[in-house]
Amino acid sequence: MIVGDLKPLDELAASIVGFARVLVLGCGGCVTVCRAGGDAEAHDVARELAHPRWFPRSEPPLFEVRTIERQCENDLLRAFLPLPEGTQAILSLACGAGVQIVADVFEPLPVLPALSTTFMGGSDEPGVWREKCKGCGDCLLASTGGVCPIALCAKSLLNGPCGGSHDGHCELGPDIPCAWVRVYRRLEAQGRLELLDEVRGTRDWRKAGYRGPRRRSRTGVALR
Amino acid sequence: MSYFRVSEACNGCLACVQNCPALALDARDEGDRRTLLHNMARCARCGTCWRVCPQHAVEFQHILASSWDEVVVLPLVRCEVCGEPLHTAKMPAGLEPRLAELAPPLCDHHRAARQAAQLRLPAGGAS
Repeated sequence: MIVGDLKPLDELAASIVGFARVLVLGCGGCVTVCRAGGDAEAHDVARELAHPRWFPRSEPPLFEVRTIERQCENDLLRAFLPLPEGTQAILSLACGAGVQIVADVFEPLPVLPALSTTFMGGSDEPGVWREKCKGCGDCLLASTGGVCPIALCAKSLLNGPCGGSHDGHCELGPDIPCAWVRVYRRLEAQGRLELLDEVRGTRDWRKAGYRGPRRRSRTGVALR
Repeated sequence: MSYFRVSEACNGCLACVQNCPALALDARDEGDRRTLLHNMARCARCGTCWRVCPQHAVEFQHILASSWDEVVVLPLVRCEVCGEPLHTAKMPAGLEPRLAELAPPLCDHHRAARQAAQLRLPAGGAS
């Protein structure tokens, strides 16, 4: 899922100064599950920002709170998100994708992000999310024992470990496991260490988005 | 009551069934009747049914808004002074063996008031 972090309240307050009516818009997708931008967080943000201490030179805005299943789908927003009357700005608790779709749908209404989108990850243990995937467009998990060196190695090395690996940890710190040691251990347990005999050559990073934004279309999904 | 609802415009073409990526829709043909079926536990609420319906019959707003289902109804204990809800009658049952005595059913405010009243010195008792 996409994981995000709520921005500091003073930063959020600064972004909505001057607007009299603000819609705080939660997203029912990934950010609900990672406890950053769902309906509960949207109500928390509206309640916190309604305090006058954030707005020393003006009245706090009037807040309305709504949450929609996903903010990242244009037609869903158009059909099912009627804007409250008088809305002057939207404070979106979606990931960066959702914020941009909302901004497209309700142009020219200002749409401000309440989260900083941080990574695509998963939950290894309750309440903890860790980065797992960089969306590189050319998955190599089949040959690395299900451990992604693109996302989990600080250098995204295709062949490793590097000289900075020490006692199973990355040179960046003892709290960061060396991804390539994890790859080795996993393949060793699987009896498939021969997969490491292959030296991976230069990669086509255009698939990772370095040739501009990527687009996919699937046939059979009719448009209304 | 199903959250997946269709309007009168539904003609039973099964475009929604055939396109549902979560296999949450099905149809049953019995005798001279076709019945459309929906499984909320499988439903990913992706909106594909709503998008593909050629009749625009899928009322997806009911799935987005939904409603509250009653799951269980239990007897409630309230503060005996002000009536504030405290806990269900079943909750203390599991605690009885571990407590010397159960606290009287009072909210925080009235428990504090009663304790203060119990501690208060009798009138004229201090010199």
